[in-house]
Amino acid sequence: MAEQSINPRRRRILQAAATVGIMQMTGPFIIKARGEQAIKIGLNDPLTGTYAELGKNEQIGCEYAIEQINAKGGILGRQVQLVVEDSTSADTGAAVQKARKLIDRDKVDFLLGNVNSAMALATAQVSNERRIFHVVTGGHTDAVTGSDCHWNVFRVCNTTRMETNAVAKTLFNKYGKKWYFITPDYAFGHTLQQGFEASLKQFGGTEVGADLVPLGASDFSSYLIKAQAANPDVIIFLQAGQDMINALKQAVQFGLDKRFHLAGAQQELEVLDGLPPNARVGTWVFEWYWKQPNVPHVAEFVAGIRKRNGGKVPTARHWFGYVATWTCALIANQEKTLDAVKLAKATENFKLPPEVALMPSDTFYRAGDHQLMPTLYVGHAQEKGSEAEDLFQVDELVKGVDAALPVAETGCQMKWN
Amino acid sequence: MTQQVLFSVFNGLIIGAFYALMALGLSLILNLSGVINFAHGGFLAIGAYLAYTLIPYLGFWGALAVAPLLTAAIGLLVERLLIRRLYGRDPLYSLLLTFGLAFVLEDGTRYIWGPSSLPFEIPHWLATPLSSDFFFLTGYRLFMMLLVCAAVAILFLVLNRTRLGMRIRAGSGDLEMVSALGVNVRLLRNVNFGLGIYMAGLAGVLAAGMLGLQPTIGSVLIMPSFVAIIVGGLGSLPGTLLGGLLIGVTSGVVTVFFPSASEAVIYVMMGVVLLVRPHGLLGEEGRIQ
Repeated sequence: MAEQSINPRRRRILQAAATVGIMQMTGPFIIKARGEQAIKIGLNDPLTGTYAELGKNEQIGCEYAIEQINAKGGILGRQVQLVVEDSTSADTGAAVQKARKLIDRDKVDFLLGNVNSAMALATAQVSNERRIFHVVTGGHTDAVTGSDCHWNVFRVCNTTRMETNAVAKTLFNKYGKKWYFITPDYAFGHTLQQGFEASLKQFGGTEVGADLVPLGASDFSSYLIKAQAANPDVIIFLQAGQDMINALKQAVQFGLDKRFHLAGAQQELEVLDGLPPNARVGTWVFEWYWKQPNVPHVAEFVAGIRKRNGGKVPTARHWFGYVATWTCALIANQEKTLDAVKLAKATENFKLPPEVALMPSDTFYRAGDHQLMPTLYVGHAQEKGSEAEDLFQVDELVKGVDAALPVAETGCQMKWN
Repeated sequence: MTQQVLFSVFNGLIIGAFYALMALGLSLILNLSGVINFAHGGFLAIGAYLAYTLIPYLGFWGALAVAPLLTAAIGLLVERLLIRRLYGRDPLYSLLLTFGLAFVLEDGTRYIWGPSSLPFEIPHWLATPLSSDFFFLTGYRLFMMLLVCAAVAILFLVLNRTRLGMRIRAGSGDLEMVSALGVNVRLLRNVNFGLGIYMAGLAGVLAAGMLGLQPTIGSVLIMPSFVAIIVGGLGSLPGTLLGGLLIGVTSGVVTVFFPSASEAVIYVMMGVVLLVRPHGLLGEEGRIQ
């Protein structure tokens, strides 16, 4: 009855007022929502197959960085979101498809990845076509910042040549000039061997033998028999991941570590951790190491990753993801834009701040080939250090600029199209 | 060079014996049940991981004894719940099932034990060479070869001298007739599957002593085992043993001359055998339908 007593005109006014009121509330809300649409960083990395562990570790590094970036206000005032796709470990076609999906459907503003060198090259082609700022996290083949370089592509991990150059002199001076190579039969292994051969030639050493081993080989005994017969000073293992574990485990069971020096270029904490303690031997290069007591901010990073990594210390892979993600945020906030060309120009010679670099010397992206110039850690594997996870003793620090080939020799012809 | 070839032949025999152990398990299951067990590598990985878990409690030797038995128990369960339903159907069904099961087992081990390689340790005195000249002959490899010989001898004794073995062999020849004679074929297949998986578990523990222990450990070893069966001859257990030894030796010798072809050569060998003698070296023509 009371409703009927309301004046129709009054009702109309109330309705109009309510509408205006709602509009007052929704208008700014919609605009605000648009303003807060998250910046998307796409990570295209293997989460299944052989490289699953490495890809997962890179993802953890990215997630930690994003947490910090968001806590500090995000990118251009907007929150940052990580969109992850499993590139698989071996299917390059799938990796390309996922990269396209991230760019075209998810509309990511930045692309990160890949662990696999072939995938890094292929997805760099895609990101270049789509004009997306791309940071390659962990694919080491030289071509990424060499013959196949692109204006929009930057790389955090080292080239294979940087790694061989960093350790070659130590091996030659300390352990002898006759080397035998046990090399995985694909691009990564070939370029590592070529790098060592160039150093050997330069120093006047001898290559007493080299075997190309199929990727994924489980039994290395036949190759070890050949290496032993050649009587080298140093047996150089250029495998990665599971292949390196199989090779070293068998070499040590054969007692070859007592008769020859075992060494190589790239070594990773994931590999040393998977070896029985007595097989943690040899001279290697680490791309980043968690135990750097005199380098600021490393301890905080280690503590942060431990919380997200089941209590385990970070590896170089965590660091790759962390640095790649922070690079995007730092450069976009500095330039106040998401325009890929402007960002790429600004990233040339961009020096990472110490809390991101986590390295003892200046760390920057070199103009000309877009390769990060970090510090390389040359040292030896150890059964047991001061702590359970301290499996590597750093003997020498090599600056990236001293280990890398000059830009003119990398084969990179940068085209800004 | 001669010394290298001789070393490689001897070394190839050791590796071949290991392939044979895996292949015999596969062959047992294939012969009686007609199941091409693609999940064999997955069971191998489970055997290895179970041993890794048991070593702190039972030591290496205890784990070597118990882990293959536990793997066989899992195999019995899988046969009862899944494989059994597909007997008598087109072999494609069981192939698809075991193919999928291989993924489930691999990801299962990854989920339980994590994706990282685990440091599987063997007793120190086993992990050293017996002499500096024959440096590739470590205590572990010698032990492994002896164990494979013992396992093969026991398997052949069981198959030839026991009632169960005779039933398995008879079943491999004519299952319907065995069934008509009152033998519990279901139980026979179940036990036979368990026996095959026991051998996969044993191969897993042995492999983890030489290789890195990670979820893909089984999938890298499964293909040479299939090749061993095909080269040796479907339906023939001695043929499988011969096939395993042959591919081990061939791969070892080829490494001396063409190292990058060491893996490809076993497939070339399989191709040649299929062309020249399609039923394998010791296989019986038309035995497996």
